[in-house]
Formats: sequence, C-alpha cells, structure tokens
Amino acid sequence: MRRIIFWLSVFVFIGGAVFGMVKLLQNSSGGGGAALISAVFSGDNMKGSKESKVVLVEYSDFQCPACAAYYPLVKEAAKEFADDAQFVYRHFPLSQIHRNAELAARAAEAAGRQGKFWEMHDIIFEKQSEWASEKNARELFRQYAETLGLDLERFSQDIDSSGVISKVADDYRGGFDSGVNSTPTFFLNGQKLQNPRSYDEFRTIIRKAIEQNP
Amino acid sequence: MMNLEQSLEKQSSKIPKWIVYAFLIVSAAGFVDATYLAVKHYSGSPVSCSIIQGCERVLTSRYAVVYGVPVALLGSIYYTVIFVLTAAFIDTKRRAVLSYAARFTFVGFIAALWFLYLQVFVIRAICFYCIVSAVSSVALFILGMLVLSRK
Repeated sequence: MRRIIFWLSVFVFIGGAVFGMVKLLQNSSGGGGAALISAVFSGDNMKGSKESKVVLVEYSDFQCPACAAYYPLVKEAAKEFADDAQFVYRHFPLSQIHRNAELAARAAEAAGRQGKFWEMHDIIFEKQSEWASEKNARELFRQYAETLGLDLERFSQDIDSSGVISKVADDYRGGFDSGVNSTPTFFLNGQKLQNPRSYDEFRTIIRKAIEQNP
Repeated sequence: MMNLEQSLEKQSSKIPKWIVYAFLIVSAAGFVDATYLAVKHYSGSPVSCSIIQGCERVLTSRYAVVYGVPVALLGSIYYTVIFVLTAAFIDTKRRAVLSYAARFTFVGFIAALWFLYLQVFVIRAICFYCIVSAVSSVALFILGMLVLSRK
C-alpha cells in the first residue's frame, strides 16, 4: 500500500508539474489589469481610423524576434479593422540586449519625418535577420531608405537629430511608466493585453472591443 | 577478519540519505524548469523580449531545437528519468538503480557544458531558465560521482 502511494505521488508530481506549467502559461504573460498611462497624442505613429474609440497601442522593439513574429498579425489586423480601430506603434528598444534596436527605431522615425514611417517599419521587421547582428546596421537602414525613395541626406540628418532621439526615448519612458517590461506589449483601450497566441484570438479581442465601443 | 571486512564494506557502501534526497529534489527542480521551457515552446506564443533576460535570443536561436525537437523537451525527459530512477531506488533500495542514474548524469553534465558554451560564446545571451538547468545538471553530476565513488 505504501508503495502504491509513493509511486502515485511521484507520478502526480510529474503530471501536476506539466499541467501546472500549461495553466501558468495560459494565464500569465501580461494581463493583470495594468493600465496604459500615456494617452495617444498627435506625435504618435498611428494608422487606422482616427475617429474610432478603439485604440491598440503596441510597445515594440524592432530587434526583438517576438515582435517580428507579431508584426504580420498586427499588420493584418490593421488592415482588417482599418475603419473601426486605431493602431499605434511606440518604441520600446531593449538596448541592453539588442544593440541595433534603438538605431532601428530612429531609422523608422527618420523615415516618418518624410511620411514613410509604416513603410520603413515593415521593411525593418521583414529584414530583421539581415541587420540585427550587423555592426554597420546604419548603412543597411540607409539602403532601405533608398528603396523607399527617401531623401537620403535628410534621412541621415534626421536619424541623429535630437527630435528623433527624444521621440524614441519618450516612447520608452512612457512604456516603462506604464509597466512595460517585455516586448511586444499591447494595450487595448488602455488595458494591457495578454499576448494573443494566434491571429484568430487577436481578431476576437479587437472585435469584442469594437462591439463594446460602437 | 572476514567479518570486519564485510562490515566495513557494508558500511562504506551505504549511500547517505541526503545524497538520495538531494538527487530527488535537484532532478525535480530541473524537471520543472525544463518542462516550463518545453511547454512554452509548444504553447505557440513567441517568447517575449524582456528587459532583464536574454531568454528570447537563446530560445529562438537555432540551437534551441535539434531535428525539430526543442532541447527543453529533451531536458525535461532527462530529468524525468533521473527523478523516476531515484524514486525507484528509494522504493526498492537496489543500488544498481541509483548507479544507472548516477552514470546517466554524465550526459546531463556534457549537455550543460555545451549549452553554457553556446550561450556565452555563440549566442552571446544568457537565459535564466537555462542557467537553472545547467546548475541542476552540474549538481546532479557531482551527486552522481559521490554515489559512484562509494563502492
């Protein structure tokens, strides 16, 4: 009898640990009711409907593989809900672990000064593996700017301008104050989201918010 | 004389309880740690990038998966084997069972060294969960050597 109890507890432990981990990972990763402190303002990079009451704010790092994995999902959602929601991209470069992240954010902002933030944002994510560990990422960003037909001289000036540098720093600070500690972090109407696991889940969350805020 | 020798042998061959329980606890800890990463791998959501950890770089590197199998799952299986063998020793008191476990820790030790090397010199990022696993594996190896040395 004691042996049965002993072995039962051994297997209950193993099974329980696996089950516990699955549950833990389903419930954790964000959520928790953290709220976004800084509201959307005119300096934000946004797309979608300005009149919409539904706002999705993403704090992201161009060099983060998870952000690159979410990039097509967000892009798809922004297309699908273009008339019903606003999509805001804010920088949260994790410079301690991603050495080119901050420069990438500045490159996107510099392109934004010429009206092509989202185009640059797309290229930077799509080519993440190309520039991520590159010593001279600056040159690659310049090439991307060229393919977008930007004024290269202006781009080179803007990327190092104090305005662009402080925009990225302000985004980071705002995210930090709102409790962002990993990327990507999404806030839907100010509430921190648990990162969706699929496009369907993402779409369902956004659709629900749209229905609740007609 | 014979008696003395026999009793000496009997005494020296007895494995202290603390070693056995340390084996059990450390393998359980390694199991929980590796299982967490394995479940995370299969849960589908990308590992977020975090301020404090380099985990996402380590876990999304090509070294995290061998022939389609995440190394975390291999780790999880490894710790399960050690854990079950230790439990079997506690149950049966058969020394051979613990010896198998002790010899098997060599595999974990080599794996731990390899993954540490990859993190420090190749990927150049450290993942906290992987360090926990490396510490568990090295501890199990030391315990395993203690077991084997008590012939």
